[in-house]
Parts: sequence; C-alpha cells; structure tokens
Amino acid sequence: MYTVFAQTIINGLLLGGVYAAYSAGFSLIFGVMGVVNLAHGELIMLGAFTSYWLFAYFNLDPYLSAPFAMVFLFLFGYVVQKYIINRVIGQPHIMSYILTFGLHLMIANIAIKMWTQDFRSITTSYSGANAAIWGLNIPLARLVTFMVALLVTWVLWFFLMRTETGRAIRATAQDKEVARLMGVDIRNIYAITFGLGAAITGLSGSVMSPFVIISPEMGLEYTIIAFCVVVLGGMGYMPGALVGGLVLGVAQSLAATYLNAGVSVAITFIILFIMLVICPKGILGKGSVA
Amino acid sequence: MNFKIDRIILIMFLGITAALAFLPNFVESEYLLRLITVVIFWIGIAGCWNMMSGYTGYIDFGPVVYFGIGSYVVAIAMTKYGIPFFPSLFISGVISGSVAFLVGIPTLRLKGAYFAIATFAFAEAMKQITLEFDRTFSVSFFQGSDGITLPISGHDNSFFFYCVLPVTFLVMLAHYFIEHSKFGYGLKAIKEAETAAEISGVNTTANKLGAYVSSAFFLGLFGAIEAYWITYITPSDVFNIQKTVQMVIMTLLGGMGTFLGPVIGATFLTLISESLGARFVEYYLIMIGGIIIVAILIMPNGIIGSLKIRKKLRFI
Repeated sequence: MYTVFAQTIINGLLLGGVYAAYSAGFSLIFGVMGVVNLAHGELIMLGAFTSYWLFAYFNLDPYLSAPFAMVFLFLFGYVVQKYIINRVIGQPHIMSYILTFGLHLMIANIAIKMWTQDFRSITTSYSGANAAIWGLNIPLARLVTFMVALLVTWVLWFFLMRTETGRAIRATAQDKEVARLMGVDIRNIYAITFGLGAAITGLSGSVMSPFVIISPEMGLEYTIIAFCVVVLGGMGYMPGALVGGLVLGVAQSLAATYLNAGVSVAITFIILFIMLVICPKGILGKGSVA
Repeated sequence: MNFKIDRIILIMFLGITAALAFLPNFVESEYLLRLITVVIFWIGIAGCWNMMSGYTGYIDFGPVVYFGIGSYVVAIAMTKYGIPFFPSLFISGVISGSVAFLVGIPTLRLKGAYFAIATFAFAEAMKQITLEFDRTFSVSFFQGSDGITLPISGHDNSFFFYCVLPVTFLVMLAHYFIEHSKFGYGLKAIKEAETAAEISGVNTTANKLGAYVSSAFFLGLFGAIEAYWITYITPSDVFNIQKTVQMVIMTLLGGMGTFLGPVIGATFLTLISESLGARFVEYYLIMIGGIIIVAILIMPNGIIGSLKIRKKLRFI
C-alpha cells in the first residue's frame, strides 16, 4: 500500500523532471520574446534524432552525443529566429503562433519524408536499468534526465543573472525599446535567446532518447505538455518550469495509478484550464501576465 | 465611394446566395455538389471563428469544442432519446451556446496568449472527458473511443447542401450586422484598445460574450450537421485540433476581421487541398506549412485585409 504510493510519487517526480527538462526552453523563449513556440516539440525531435543517428552510425552513447545536439540546435534556432521569426516580432501574438505552427508542419513533415514514420528507439546497456532502494524502483535514465533538468535550470539562471549577454537578454525582456537605446542589438539578442532555448531543448531530447520512442511525429504532444508545465509554473519565469513539471508529473502519476491513464490526460487539461482562470501567474505567482 | 461598394457587395452576396439555392437542380455531378457543399461548410466554420477572434482580436484556440459538443448533442439526442434531426439540430446549437456562455464568463477575462491557451485546454479537456467518461463511471453515454453511430439518414447530397447553405448564410448575415452596428464597432474597439473602449462606455464583457456565444451557437449547428452527414462520430474526430487550425488558417489567409476574409480563405484552402492533396499526398503538409509561413511574412493582413488597406475600403 505505502510502497505503491511511494513508487507513484517517485515515478511522478521523475516524470516531472523530464517535463521540466524539455519545458525550460519554451519558458525562456516566451519570457523574452512573447513567442508561444508551437514548433517546440520539433526541437526535441531534432535533438533526439541527432542522438539516434550518431548512435546508429558511430555507436556514440546518447549522453556523449548531447553536446552535438546542443550545438546543432543552437545554430538551427539562431537561423530560424534571425531570418523568420524576427520578422513578426512586434506584430499581434497570433502571427507568432501561426508562423511557428507553419514551422511545426514543415519540420515534422520534412522529417517524415527524410526518415519515414517508423518508430525508433536507442537501446543502450543502461536503457532499462533500475536502482532498487527499499523495494522501490528508480529508473536510472530518467534520474539522469532529472539531474540534467536541475543543472540546465541552474546554469541558465546563472547565465541570465551574471553574464553580459544574460543581462542584455533580461533587459530586452523587460523593455526592448529602452534596451535598444542602451545599445543592445535586439535582433541579435532574440536570435541568441531562441538559439539558447533550442539548444537546451535539443539537449533534453538527446538525454531523453534512451527511454522514449523517437519518431518524426513525436513533437506535437511534447509541445502540449510543455505548454501545461510552463503555465503551471508561471510563464517566462525560469525556475517555474521545474516546479510546474514536478507538480504536473506527480498529479498525472497519481491519476494514472488510482484512476486510469486516460483520466490523467483529462486531469492535465482541467488543471491547466482552472489554473489559467484562477491564477494565470502560475503556482509561484511569478509568471508574466500579458 | 465606400457606401456604393458596401451596397454592391451586399446585393452580390444576396444574389449569389439566391442563385446557390437553385444549384442542386443544375449540377449533375454528385462529386461537384459535394465539393461545393464542403466549401460552403468551411466558409461558415471559418466565419464562426472570424466573428469572435477576427473582430475582437481574442485568439480562440479551442473553437472546435463547440463543434464537437454540437456533434455529440445531436448524436445523443437522436440515438438515446429518439428526437428527430431538426429539433436535435436546434438543441445542439442552444447547448453549445449555453456552454460557451458559462465558459466565456471566466475565460474572457484572460488576455493574449493566456486566453488562447485556456480555450485550447478546455477543448482538449472536453475531448478527454468524452473519451474516458464511460469507462471511469461505468456507464454507457458518450461511448468513449467506440464512437456513436447515428441513424442512417438516407438523404442525398442535396439535403445536406440545403442544411449547410442557410447556416452559412446566417453566419455571413451576422458578419454584415457586425460591420454595421454599434455592437460590431464595440468589437473592433476591443481589438484596437480594450481599456480605451471600456472608458468610452463600451460594455466590453457583454460584447465579447455576445460574439463568443453566437460563434459557439453556429459552430454547434455545423457540428450537428456534420455528425448527421457522416453518421459516425468519435471524440478524436469531432474534437480534432486540426479543425481549429484549419479555421484559423483560412481566416488568416483571407483576412481577419473582414467580411469576405473567411469566404476567400476557405474557398482557396479547400480547393487547394482538393487539388494538391490528392496529387501530392506526401508533400501536401510541407506545402501547407510553406504557404502559411510565406503568407504570414509577406501578407500578414490576409488577401482581403491587404486589399482593404491598399484601396482604403471600410467594408468588405
């Protein structure tokens, strides 16, 4: 009885850690530019595929290929922001949703064309490995992803608070006109921000690749979860993604154990809806409200 | 100048609708009649979205929920309670509208991305609830993923043509009313500057709610018609987010907050998907993605919106 409950909570926390890992980039991009990136899941997909191909051709461990995924997605994000999304900044919100939705369609379907719709997975020696403590199972790959989420949040926070570029990003987020007057190159900062968001999202896709199913169509459902996580934690507030992820993970895990798996999805959206209506600033009350 | 164009378009609109009413008598090919019905169907649905989001600037990302509610109400009314189609159709509209009223009161306070996400979350939640309700409470009401089979209508395509045409006509009439009434000016004022509108004495909450509820009412009707037409519905079909996306893209291509925007956008996209979709199945979605990106970048106001700005027209 207690074992089931404890196991449910552990599963929830680890699931939440995974959620947090891939939602931080979404929150960063929204916080700085106000862009709701509907192609977010495609960034995860590209990260996972980078690891998959490096594993398939060079037998490179996903944890070692993670830096390649980061660099590749940083460049990808930088270019996409610089040449495409930058053109709609300052226009009504809807433009950025539709534009990124168009990107989602293009990236996902080009990927299908190139790599087919097959489901793929990376099987490493530690893919199914569990640590057993007091009769509880802890899947190691998820634990590592959780660690990565913590590390990413911390490094990103440090970067935003302590470095020159980080300060410029924060200044741009607060008031882009004043930042421009202070000599910040807004377009470049936006491109760097999107690149950073894409890089940490690609990293998460890469470290998740040992235990998720990889396919070109995987993106949309991750985008939806990232939405929920970021709203729960407070949009645009970095550590919020961690809190939102953990809350959502535990809630889903409890619902799946004590009700059924389908209900847990329903509960996700009900929580999201109620949260928005009652407290759009998120659980911690630190999110930005448009 | 403006006044004249205004009249010309109204007369053309009434004339075309009247001419369309006789269409099934002349069109021999069942395929063509079906295609025309589908185009009119999508004009109406895109119009419903335009009515709310196009004019007020509140981006509704879950309009499909009212479409789905319409489908399920008609299905349940007909199969479980044996109510004939037309009364059930009316009930669908009323229930969709009532749900929109209850949901609209808390949701319409949200702004920007938050409104969009809340409406999206509501639509997905409803889909999951219809999917899981029966299994969770061990009843047989929505019939979950098994779906509901409606009584086979036995009607031919022209019957559905005559169901869709009047509803789309009403939607377009509502657009005309929005363009020429204080209510509509209120909606446009909300889009431009909501606080200023409120200070100037526009009852913004009532206006938004009015637009939201009427859009939901019509969507309910369309959902009900489609359910009776297809005769088999499942939650993943009728609450499919692709429908929302299609409404948004059609309106955006045509021009948000314009009278002719949904007409042009829906016709264009339906015909494109009919011709390209069949011939280039594999590249179709890539092309649609490309069209969306190019349209947003070079023509953010849509076809009609750009024309309106260039020619300085007030109403089309």
